[in-house]
Amino acid sequence: MNKVYTLHDAVAKFVEDGDVLAIGGFTTNRKPYATVSEILRQGKKDFIVYAGPGGGEVDMLIGEGRVAAYINCYTANSGYTNVSRRFRAAIEQGKLTYEDYSQDVLMLMLHAASLGLPFLPVRLMQGSGLMKYWGISEEKRKTMPKLENLKCAEIENPMVPGQKVVAVPVPKFDTAIIHVQQASPDGTCIICGDEFHDIDIAVAARKTIVTCEEIVSNEFIRRDPTKTRIFGECVQAVVKAPYGAWPSQCYDYYDDDDAGLKEYDKASKYQDAEDAKAQLAKAAAKAEKAAAAKPEDAKLADAAAKAKKAAEDAAAGVKIPETFKDYLEKWVYSCEDQAALLDKIGGSRLMRLKNEPHLGYSTTH
Amino acid sequence: MSDYTKYTKQEMQAYAIAKNIKENQIVIVGTGLPLIGASLAKRAVCPSCHPIVESGLMDCDPVEVPRSVGDNRFMAHCAVQWPNIRFVGFEANEWLHDEDRLVAFIGGAQIDPYGNVNSTCIFGKGDYLQPTTRFTGSGGANGIATYCNTIIMMQHQKRRFIDHVDYITSCGWMDGPGGRERAGLPGNRGPQMVVTDLGIMKFDEETKRMYLAYYYPFSSPEMVQENTGFEVDVSRAQLMEGPSPEIIKLIREEIDPGQAFIKVPKE
Repeated sequence: MNKVYTLHDAVAKFVEDGDVLAIGGFTTNRKPYATVSEILRQGKKDFIVYAGPGGGEVDMLIGEGRVAAYINCYTANSGYTNVSRRFRAAIEQGKLTYEDYSQDVLMLMLHAASLGLPFLPVRLMQGSGLMKYWGISEEKRKTMPKLENLKCAEIENPMVPGQKVVAVPVPKFDTAIIHVQQASPDGTCIICGDEFHDIDIAVAARKTIVTCEEIVSNEFIRRDPTKTRIFGECVQAVVKAPYGAWPSQCYDYYDDDDAGLKEYDKASKYQDAEDAKAQLAKAAAKAEKAAAAKPEDAKLADAAAKAKKAAEDAAAGVKIPETFKDYLEKWVYSCEDQAALLDKIGGSRLMRLKNEPHLGYSTTH
Repeated sequence: MSDYTKYTKQEMQAYAIAKNIKENQIVIVGTGLPLIGASLAKRAVCPSCHPIVESGLMDCDPVEVPRSVGDNRFMAHCAVQWPNIRFVGFEANEWLHDEDRLVAFIGGAQIDPYGNVNSTCIFGKGDYLQPTTRFTGSGGANGIATYCNTIIMMQHQKRRFIDHVDYITSCGWMDGPGGRERAGLPGNRGPQMVVTDLGIMKFDEETKRMYLAYYYPFSSPEMVQENTGFEVDVSRAQLMEGPSPEIIKLIREEIDPGQAFIKVPKE
């Protein structure tokens, strides 16, 4: 059976508003950015999102207001952004419905989903805030049919009387989105390097969209079954999307895009132009106060003058720094598809990201 | 700076990390300073150790400093590429088998006298649902602090060392002796020390409260108390000697030449 789709058609057909979405990859490695970008372009929304350790891909969905609930264990473009900024802002402004689990528990929940377990007992999170504080109350959960009624519950181990264990729910995924190195038209996938939780979510989800660097024939992919990692019958759509994990890494193929991740780090500080103006005005007021407190300090006075100029330039519309909205316009909405994105990134830049085979990464990324 | 007799606070911290890794230990590292410390241990101080990362990459020996625990730089130079769940299972089984080989480095924003660590959020004027400052969340730290002995990395500041943390992300000794058992946690695991830019704190065997064990050539017991938001016993404190020029040369020229995590002053 041929499951090859265009990115547009795969997302149009297999991603629905309100889906429980499971995203593959690990912070800045093999994150399915191409599919996330297409979801953004098609205006799909109201997702309950699981991403394992998330990064910019979740941050983009949160910043664009597409997330009804985010089940978090860690969210950062490690090494570039300490805490993903739209995620952070949304929580600090009370705008995000979210739940915190430890990474161990969340990943075991994804694995339990792949095993079809009814619930999962763990000896983790005990004594910690992860059990004490609930991001989504039982009452609220009861109004969300796709979320279990409880975050967790301490129970006695029926096998070991007196032993306290923690029961956590096993999620049910509508759609998994993953990016792999090679796939065949029948859905069989080769993942090079660490699989992360990608196999688990591909098995557990009702629908799985796979983007891949290369499509190879059903015969070719079977030449060495030690390399194939996902059974094709778990997959609904196969999409050829070269550099589909950009700006994150893809083992054996390319490194993360240093410039791209740095650009996102800077831009995502500000939601939009209004937010930039407000934040720069606030920063200027703070710098002025600091300088006034120590009038003899020339450095503080200089910093205050610079902050004032930046705030004035932004307010007058002379010079507004790049914002999250600008970044998305540039790298998502103005690109019709993955080919348009690659043209925009440019050939030489993409070539610089290519892994050096003897190292497994790029020295020019 | 080609003068290897002078070193920075961070270099001292990396050296302190390396010195506390023992023969044949399996060392759970993240990125940043613990990775530099573990690389230093692997290359110079304690070559028999095995660095592993929570993404499931085992016995890592990266050539270039990785930026994340899932980085291709770890993946291309390790013994086994496990998924994260295998790492979680391995860590739990080490405890079930009563093996004492694992030691883990974790960090945080707040810590209390019993080594309970917060890396989730600072409530400030708000609460858990809408905190003043939000961080990434637990990552692997909660599971690590449940099943492994830990070495906690912190910046030594009064606002970080406080009587009560807003949110316990990673459990330490809870409220003192027996606290871990009462919470359902393995009682024979827990924080061993806190390595900061001013010294090394350990935990009293009886009370489980933090005390100053070592200060550095550029710090003092008084400095440590001044920068700690609770009473800390400094009566047992000893001076820890700084690293040799050979160690500093190794950090700057081989381990982190790109200064990804350790910045070297220009003068």
